[in-house]
Amino acid sequence: MYDRTFPENAVTAQDIKIEAKGVNVHYGDTHAIKDVSVDIQDKTVTAFIGPSGCGKSTFLRCFNRMNDTIDSARVTGDIRIDGEDIYDKRVDPVQLRAKVGMVFQKPNPFPKSIYDNVAYGPKIHGLAHTRADLDDIVEKALRRGAIWDEVKDRLQAPGTGLSGGQQQRLCIARAIATEPEVLLMDEPCSALDPIATGQVEELIDELRRDYSVVIVTHSMQQAARVSQKTAFFHLGNLVEYGDTDEIFTNPQDPKTESYITGRIG
Amino acid sequence: MTDATAAAALAPKKSIITVDDRTQKRNAAEKRFRAYGIAAIAAGMVFLVVLLGSILLNGVTAFQQTFIQVPVYLDPAKVDKEGNRDPEEMAKVSTFGYKPLLIEAMAELVTERGIETEIAPGDMDALFSSSAVAQLRDRVLANPDLVGETVSFNILAASRVDGYLKDRVSRDSVARDKNIDAGHLDIVDALRAEGDVVKRFNWDFILGSDASESRPEQAGMGVAMLGSFFMMLVVLGLSLPIGVAASIYLEEFAPQNRLTDVIEVNISNLAAVPSIVFGILGLAVFIQFMEFPQSAPLVGGLVLTLMTLPTIIISTRAALKSVPPSIRDAALGVGASKMQSVFHHVLPLAMPGILTGTIIGLAQALGETAPLLLIGMVGYIATNYPDGISSGFLDPNSAMPAQIYEWAKRADPAYYERAWGGIIILLVFLFAMNAIAILLRRKFERRW
Repeated sequence: MYDRTFPENAVTAQDIKIEAKGVNVHYGDTHAIKDVSVDIQDKTVTAFIGPSGCGKSTFLRCFNRMNDTIDSARVTGDIRIDGEDIYDKRVDPVQLRAKVGMVFQKPNPFPKSIYDNVAYGPKIHGLAHTRADLDDIVEKALRRGAIWDEVKDRLQAPGTGLSGGQQQRLCIARAIATEPEVLLMDEPCSALDPIATGQVEELIDELRRDYSVVIVTHSMQQAARVSQKTAFFHLGNLVEYGDTDEIFTNPQDPKTESYITGRIG
Repeated sequence: MTDATAAAALAPKKSIITVDDRTQKRNAAEKRFRAYGIAAIAAGMVFLVVLLGSILLNGVTAFQQTFIQVPVYLDPAKVDKEGNRDPEEMAKVSTFGYKPLLIEAMAELVTERGIETEIAPGDMDALFSSSAVAQLRDRVLANPDLVGETVSFNILAASRVDGYLKDRVSRDSVARDKNIDAGHLDIVDALRAEGDVVKRFNWDFILGSDASESRPEQAGMGVAMLGSFFMMLVVLGLSLPIGVAASIYLEEFAPQNRLTDVIEVNISNLAAVPSIVFGILGLAVFIQFMEFPQSAPLVGGLVLTLMTLPTIIISTRAALKSVPPSIRDAALGVGASKMQSVFHHVLPLAMPGILTGTIIGLAQALGETAPLLLIGMVGYIATNYPDGISSGFLDPNSAMPAQIYEWAKRADPAYYERAWGGIIILLVFLFAMNAIAILLRRKFERRW
C-alpha cells in the first residue's frame, strides 16, 4: 500500500504559507487543541493524521475560521497566512474563506445544477462580469477538478444526482472556482470507494502545483501517498511534524510509531 | 472459552420447528398490539365518517331553496304614480307599495290554477318571503320599462314553505304556528304539482348577506366570507414576514444563551394558550387602548395574527432545522456570508415546510371563533357589503365561524340548517387550503 507514490512527490524547501503559533481551542470546558504550532509550506500537501477525536479537524477549521460558527468554540493563539493574522479584529471571516477554500468530509453539493454549484462562489465574490466570463470560470474549475469530461454535457443537471466520487470532485471544483490560495480538506475521501478515492488523490496531487493543500485523513496510507509533510496529532497535542517520508519510515516519537504501526488509535 | 463450550454442551438442543413458550407469548403480545392499533384507527375512521356524514346530511339542504314562479302585473298606478318612469321618483314608493302587487299576483295564480282554498287573498303573503317584495322593487327600479307589463318573477318562498318542502315543517307543527296555516300548505302542494313551486340551487346562501331572525330563507354567508377574507389578508401579511423573520433569527443568528432559551420556551407556550385569551388581549390592547374600530376585520386579523405566530414560528424553525448543516457549511466554505447562506441556500430548501406551516396556521385562524366573539366580530350585516378595500378592513363585519355560531344560536329551526350549511362552506375552504399546502409542498420539494 505504501508503494504508490506520485512522481513529483519530492519535497523542496518552500515559502511558509500558514504560520500557527501556540494555538489553543476550547469547546466550552473541553480543551480540544493544546498549544499547537505548525508552519504549513506553500505548494505542498500537508496531512494531519491521528486517531478519532484528536483534534485534527478542529485545528484545520481554525485556518478558515469555520470554528466561528460554533458558539462554544474559543480559539486563542496566533495564526498567520502570508504574515497576516487571520484572527485580527479587522479580518472579515467571509473574505478569509474566499482565500482559504474548504472541502468537507461528506460531499455536500448544493441541491442546484452542476453549473450553479460551481458558479455560486465566483458570483457572490464578483469574479465574473459577463456570462461568458462565468462560463469560462466554471469550465476551468471543473477541468481542474478533473470532472469536466464527465459532466460537460449535463451542466444543468442537479449536482446531487452525481455519484459520491463525482460529487466530491464537484465540491473540490466549487472550492477552487473562487481562486483560493489555500485548500483545506477534511477527510475528503472517507465517504468514497477506493476508485473514487484514487481519482480524488490524483487530483490533490495535481492541485499542489498551485495551492497549499492541507488534508485531514484517517488513512495513513493516504497521508503517505499524497502528502509531503505530515503532522501527527494525539489527544489535542501535536506529537510530531515533519517530512512524510521521515514520519513513516523513521518516526521520532514512540507514540507516532505505535500509531502508524496500528497499535494505538 | 472453555466455560462457554461447557454450558453449550449442557443445554438441551432446541428445535426451531416447534415454537417455544417465550416465542408464543411474544407473538401473542404482538398480535394483541396490532389489534389495538387497528381498533384505534377504525374508531377514528368511524368518528370521522359520522362527523362528515352528519354535517353533510344536515347541511346540504341549505344549498337548496324553494322559489315560487309567479307572474306579477306591475300596476303603473301603484309603482309609478307620476307616470314618467323616472327611477328617482319611483324610488319614493317603498316596499309597502309593492307588497299588494305580490299578494294580488299570488291570489291570481291560485285562482288561475283552479285551486280552491279558504285562505283569504290578503293572507297570501305567508307564502313568500318578505324579502321577495324588496327584490321585486329592486328589479323594477333597475329596469323601469317593466312597469305596466306582466312579468314572471321567481320569488323566494317563505321559510315555512321551504321547510315544508324539506320535511322540516309538518302539518302537525303548522297547527301551532301563527305564521302559516294548513291551507297555505294545500296551496303549496297544488302549486308544486303544477310546477310553480320548485327547489333550486341557492347561490344567495353562498354569496348573500345575513338576514334578520324572522327571514332565514334570505340569509347567506357572503358578507361573513368577505370578513374572513380581509382578516386572512391581515393575518397573512403580518404573520408570515414576522414569523419567518423571527424564526430565521432564532434558528440561524441568535447566540445560544439563557435569553434565547427563555424566548424559545415562551413561544412554545404561546402556541398552547387558549384562543380566548388572545381575544381578551385584543379587546384590551387594540380596541380599548389603541382605539381601533370594533368588529373590524383589521382587529380580528391582528388578534388572529398573535394566535397564528407561534404556529408559524414553530413550523418554520422545524423546517430550517431540517436543512442539513452541511449545506450551510458548503455555503460558508466558499465564502458566502451568513445571510447569503441563509437566503440563497437554507431558505429555499426550507420553503415547503414554511409554506405548509403558514397555510396550516391560516386554516387554524380561519376556523377560530372565540377571540372574534370577544372583539365583537359577530356584526349583523344584512345588506351592506364592504364597498372598498378600506371599508373591507375597517367596517364592522362578521367572519364565517362567527356567522355559523350566530345562526346556531337563533331560535328558528330554519337557521339550524343554515348553520350546518355554513360549516360545509367553511370545511370546503379548509380542505382547499390543506390541498394547496400539499400541492406547494410537492412543487417546491427538492431531493438530495
